[in-house]
Amino acid sequence: MSDALFLHKDHLLPLLRRLGREYRLVGPVRNGLGDTMYAEITDLDQVRLDLRNQPQNSLKSFLFPQDDPLASYVVDEGPAREQALTYFPILPENRPTLFFGVRPCDLFGVLYMDLVFLGGRYRDIYYEQRRRGAVFLVLGCNRPFANCFCNATRSGPFLEFGFDLQLTDLSPEGKGYFVEVGKAGGRAITREMAPFFHPADEEQARLQYQRVLESRGLFEQLVHVDLACRLLEQDQDTSAILADLSARCQDCGGCAHVCPTCTCFTITDRPRGKDSGERVRCWDACTFAGFSLMAGGHNPVDVKRERLRRRFYHKLKTDVQRHGRPSCVGCGRCVDICFGGVDIIRFIRRLTDLDEARSTAAGKET
Amino acid sequence: MTNTIGEIEQAQVILVSGSNTTRTHPQVARRIYNAVDAGARLIVIDPRATKIARHAHIHLQIRPGTDIALLNGIMRCILDENLIDDLFIEMRTENFLALRDMLLGINLADIESITGVAREKIALAARTYAQARRAVICYCLGVTQHTCGTANVESYANLAMLTGHVEQEFTGVDPLRGQYNVQGACDMGALPAVLPGYQAVSDATVRRKFGRAWGCELPQKPGRTLLDMTHGALRAGLPGEENAPLAAMYIMGENPMLSDPTLGRVRTTLESLDFLVVSDIFLSETARLAHVVLPAACYAEKTGTVTNSERRVQYFRKAVEPPGEARPDSWIIRELAARMGHPMPYASEAEIMEEICLLTPVYGGMYHDRLAAGHGLQWPCPDRDHPGTPFLHKYSFTRGRGRFEPQRHVEPAEPPDEEFPFTLITGRSYYQYHTGTMSRRSPLLEREYHCPRLNMHPGDADRLGLREGETVRVVSRRGQVTFTLHRTDEAKPGRVSCDFHFRESPANMLTTAANDPVARCPEYKCCAVKVEACHE
Amino acid sequence: MDSQLYPSRRQAGTGPDRTGRNIYLPDQAVIREVIRENPLVNTYVLSLCDELANHRFTAAAGQFLMISMPHLGEAPISFSALPANGCFSLTIRNSGSLTGAVHNLKPGDILGVRGPYGNGFPMERLAGGELVILAGGIGLAPLRPVIESLLGAGSSRLSLLYGCRTQEDFCFRDDFDRWQELGLDLHLTVDQADPGWQGRVGVVTELLDQVEPEPDGMALICGPGIMIRFGIQALQNKGLAPASIITTLERHMKCGVGICGHCHSGDRLICLDGPVFSADTLPEPNNP
Repeated sequence: MSDALFLHKDHLLPLLRRLGREYRLVGPVRNGLGDTMYAEITDLDQVRLDLRNQPQNSLKSFLFPQDDPLASYVVDEGPAREQALTYFPILPENRPTLFFGVRPCDLFGVLYMDLVFLGGRYRDIYYEQRRRGAVFLVLGCNRPFANCFCNATRSGPFLEFGFDLQLTDLSPEGKGYFVEVGKAGGRAITREMAPFFHPADEEQARLQYQRVLESRGLFEQLVHVDLACRLLEQDQDTSAILADLSARCQDCGGCAHVCPTCTCFTITDRPRGKDSGERVRCWDACTFAGFSLMAGGHNPVDVKRERLRRRFYHKLKTDVQRHGRPSCVGCGRCVDICFGGVDIIRFIRRLTDLDEARSTAAGKET
Repeated sequence: MTNTIGEIEQAQVILVSGSNTTRTHPQVARRIYNAVDAGARLIVIDPRATKIARHAHIHLQIRPGTDIALLNGIMRCILDENLIDDLFIEMRTENFLALRDMLLGINLADIESITGVAREKIALAARTYAQARRAVICYCLGVTQHTCGTANVESYANLAMLTGHVEQEFTGVDPLRGQYNVQGACDMGALPAVLPGYQAVSDATVRRKFGRAWGCELPQKPGRTLLDMTHGALRAGLPGEENAPLAAMYIMGENPMLSDPTLGRVRTTLESLDFLVVSDIFLSETARLAHVVLPAACYAEKTGTVTNSERRVQYFRKAVEPPGEARPDSWIIRELAARMGHPMPYASEAEIMEEICLLTPVYGGMYHDRLAAGHGLQWPCPDRDHPGTPFLHKYSFTRGRGRFEPQRHVEPAEPPDEEFPFTLITGRSYYQYHTGTMSRRSPLLEREYHCPRLNMHPGDADRLGLREGETVRVVSRRGQVTFTLHRTDEAKPGRVSCDFHFRESPANMLTTAANDPVARCPEYKCCAVKVEACHE
Repeated sequence: MDSQLYPSRRQAGTGPDRTGRNIYLPDQAVIREVIRENPLVNTYVLSLCDELANHRFTAAAGQFLMISMPHLGEAPISFSALPANGCFSLTIRNSGSLTGAVHNLKPGDILGVRGPYGNGFPMERLAGGELVILAGGIGLAPLRPVIESLLGAGSSRLSLLYGCRTQEDFCFRDDFDRWQELGLDLHLTVDQADPGWQGRVGVVTELLDQVEPEPDGMALICGPGIMIRFGIQALQNKGLAPASIITTLERHMKCGVGICGHCHSGDRLICLDGPVFSADTLPEPNNP
């Protein structure tokens, strides 16, 4: 707390303007139809920044676009009419980007993607190109949105680490933002843009702490994520719940598309003529039946009943085993988008209700 | 639709008929699921056990083409149990006695044998629907694609009026339109007997109004229907101007070479034309037959409006440039018109819309600037100040009082017989759309579903000695098509179903061109076929 | 990235890829020879076009390559002969549009390849003692480098129990004599006999009765999933411990490097944690 700073509300836009000379800017913008989305900002005066509403997208598409050409290819014919095949990589440009107004859950999404694309045995240079030099200014959530449960996934509403800078809106009492400095990128900004920042005083620190406490008390959704993870670890039988939910699932893949931590993709060739084309990767969803379909027609997943199992178990069991915590960040976007009502909150509640019913029954027996 | 889609969520009873809702109208299905979660009862009428049917509290698995009989049975039960809405019938309808007399004359045992649905189930559905205060009927092509399609719809209207389930919020009769702007196209008069806004061609005042606005004299008689055009070769030789063979056709964004019934005849007709022009965004099977192809711009490449099933007119802004030489259809038409001596000097799409507002009462207030400001407006919207109409018929029906039109059961044109023992039901799947001109170009969608399937009940498959995944040949009096067999209890014995998305399995080689005498809609939902193993 | 946040047990960036190489970009390999194994299966003998890379190219038995065909994407194919003397082999069954197109290629044509990926067979554990190999159909292909390596060393007692649908389907027929001369105990069986077949008819697990494997030996099994499941059971019935039974699994794959998620099985990725597993470490024992 000793190096915490204060940024006056009036100075946020001028600060961004200055930073915009050095970085590409991405932040939450409200469009003409009332939708708020993270978007690239080329002219700060032409957009309506929106730091009040939840952006409908996450930061995923900036680092891992939905449609991403990896390489182009050309087929030639050699002198003896043999097929010659050459691939030319299409590498994205690296543009150091300042992501501001980032909600804690969305920052967690980026950290998870770092693990998938950079932290394994193989590094993905497409992701790396887009990721290198990125700086994250997190905006803590003074008020959770209707479907948020980041408190249960410990990815919000305020973070202890992971950010370059974390801003807490202290209005109305304090006319600006309490600024916590995290990683090197944040430190560099506060040094280079020193005139914008003043040391935070005790009153401001107290206000910030108050915001954190208030926010924790405002969650509308109570979701027992830890219990669910524990039950899955203990191999609790979920086949009835999954069969039920799989029957409702409408197969749209929407959950995977909006989820900040869904990173599955497929790679296909897109012909551009008889002799050339592009190899493209695009987002995929493990809830699709064809996700694991093999040549010859065999599908190791019982699509009717087990399709959703892959999705929920990956987030709540496999990633706990691999990384020590669930990869669901509690952003609630899958709840908004789901057609059939099979979002992760519903699964967790069915699972924990089952456990509660069992322990109540067990309690009655004693 | 008489309601707005969102209102479905608040209904207490939802009657879904001839609609594979989760597959073809997921947004409507979502509202239905929410309503059911909140306690609503769901009744589904469908010869197949589709996903929505399995979610239903009551599934009336009728024999294809027996809606009228079923509805008469339901209405008779409502009458018997005294659940009719006397006040509504008295105040808002006419011809009730004719309906009542017809209903009193039917025999529920007959209904049971015609439809194949148990009498108790019919009574339960009747009771459930009639007792609710807020009930909606959602229907789709399973109701209209019959030789008695119009009569089917009138029966549903009868049912709704009998129980007073129209004219309020959260209750009504809702046809689910499918194609992206089919509602808008109909609204703009892309139908042979009406001008924009359903104003009749036969009305001299209407003709005068449009004639003055467009600087020409308009024909007095309705034009040809789709089937008259694509099946024209059949009628050649019969007397009358309306039977003269067509010399030329201009087809825009339609692929009759896959989507029209009795494809053999369609090919003959199109190939016999002196001149065929097709405008489309891809080289479809129909476009391949054309003498001239005019590449068109797709939805993201032009500005304009589309109208959806709930009568909502929505404004779409152009987002990308059309590729190559492709142009919006409005530009193509204007260029053709200018070269034919009838220039159409609109400065912008907004100006075209102004003319629509001027001449079309239900679109009276649909100016682009109003539509661009929000999520569109629902017609009727007679002027600039009108906020649009969420649900219809609040105070009266369009014709004043609603009229009961009693209907009697009509057998399908080609019921199954000894030689062709199965009823073939054609429909849609989830991942592919229509003739696949767009959806088959997506690798993900192709991965999910690329193998044309014939759904057959396992009992039937066993009887015929057919295995899952086997290639089978389906034969009708008009042609034959191969499919991959899928054994499923979605089908009932004696009925098979398939879709029409795949050019390598063109289901419409099999279907009949028999059609409804009023709407001229072909009977895609019933024809007789036999199924045999295909040893290649 | 934040290790406090996600205490990953996976070491960051170890393995063949710290060079900043583009893991999705295929290399070019030229077809030297096409050998017809049966009406649906060909073996392609290949070399990398880049001579230096070809000279340095190594792979372990059990690893696979992602092969590319223009307009048709990629598919995983195991090595049926490891890089040696400037060549390596891939044995490919015609089972879809991509593999169908490969079957139209001739010597001189170029195939895209990426890899090698996956873990290999535990050769040290397989060598030195008794090894029973069960193979079904084209499943013999990934096991072939194991046979070549162990027969060459001469230190193991090796038996191969190989079953196919009909005698026409046997792959690597030309190797059978040489292998037997080097000491391989070879047993063949078919599901259905065509005229002229003098050998056994029946499933390959029945051959275990002829061989009577030692409980403290090792076993290797590869073939259709259902065969693997029954084979493991049969071997356990003969007294082998699950840890001594090694198999290699097949899954739909797209990247081959553990990122795209398609080969996910249980809680593991087949391309990264496999495709070789022992029977006690199978991600989904009921669904190999």
